[in-house]
Amino acid sequence: MIDEICFSAALLEGAKEVFETMIFMDLEEPSEPDEQIEGDSFLGSITFTNSIEGCLAIRCSVPCAKNIAANMLGIDTPEEVNEEEVCDALGEVTNMVMGSVKSRIQTETGELLVSIPTVIHGQNLASSLGNRMSKVFVKVDAGDEEIIEFSFLYREGDK
Amino acid sequence: MAKSLMIVDDSATMRKIIMRTIRMSGLEFDRTEEAGNGVEALEKLNAAPVDIMLCDINMPEMSGTEVVRKVRELSSCSETKIIMVSTESSQDVMDSVMADGANGFIAKPFTPEKFQEKLSPYMN
Repeated sequence: MIDEICFSAALLEGAKEVFETMIFMDLEEPSEPDEQIEGDSFLGSITFTNSIEGCLAIRCSVPCAKNIAANMLGIDTPEEVNEEEVCDALGEVTNMVMGSVKSRIQTETGELLVSIPTVIHGQNLASSLGNRMSKVFVKVDAGDEEIIEFSFLYREGDK
Repeated sequence: MAKSLMIVDDSATMRKIIMRTIRMSGLEFDRTEEAGNGVEALEKLNAAPVDIMLCDINMPEMSGTEVVRKVRELSSCSETKIIMVSTESSQDVMDSVMADGANGFIAKPFTPEKFQEKLSPYMN
């Protein structure tokens, strides 16, 4: 079984590739590691199954999610981005990060079957798989004092 | 020579990104169409075939692989080049969709250079 350090590296590298290529945002190590996302946030998640099963999730504040969507859509003023556009954009980001991570770990995990992404909006959002869950968590600085959390939750699958 | 393009993806955001990336690549089309699912794509292709179709794989209602099979059944689209654009990177899936009649594959995330490389052979 692939170890957590490899998952962590794949998660960070996959996220950086997507954000730099498609969103034109550089992700850096957080300057304040203890910083938390305050207030409402968006959570994009996508599930996978096969030799391992679980979900990959991306969480960020509302202003950060609007920045992401605005960059993807080529809109100059993030305030003009509506919630539907944010959800669609964050779903695509989640899907692409999962694809990018999957391609980095498939030598060890084999082919993973991936769902369609979902995006929710609210306070204190978190993903859980219940018992027997392993979790890899990566927090990054996305500029403008915004942080983005990436998590990869998994457990042994049926196959 | 005039060229036409259709982008098939259930995400409106992704359709916009693909269109913007194509513009950045320097490729120009006389007519561009968008479809949010396979059914809509087939309706539009029946009305007016296109030269190149860019198609997602993982879509609700009708998967990209099914879209490819149905497009290949349309005699009016026998010359349409189909390029899959997807996060799906499994060799099995790629082999399967190519066997069904797709002409190429672009992985997400992508760059303007990748569109230039994959589409320019079909532009002349």
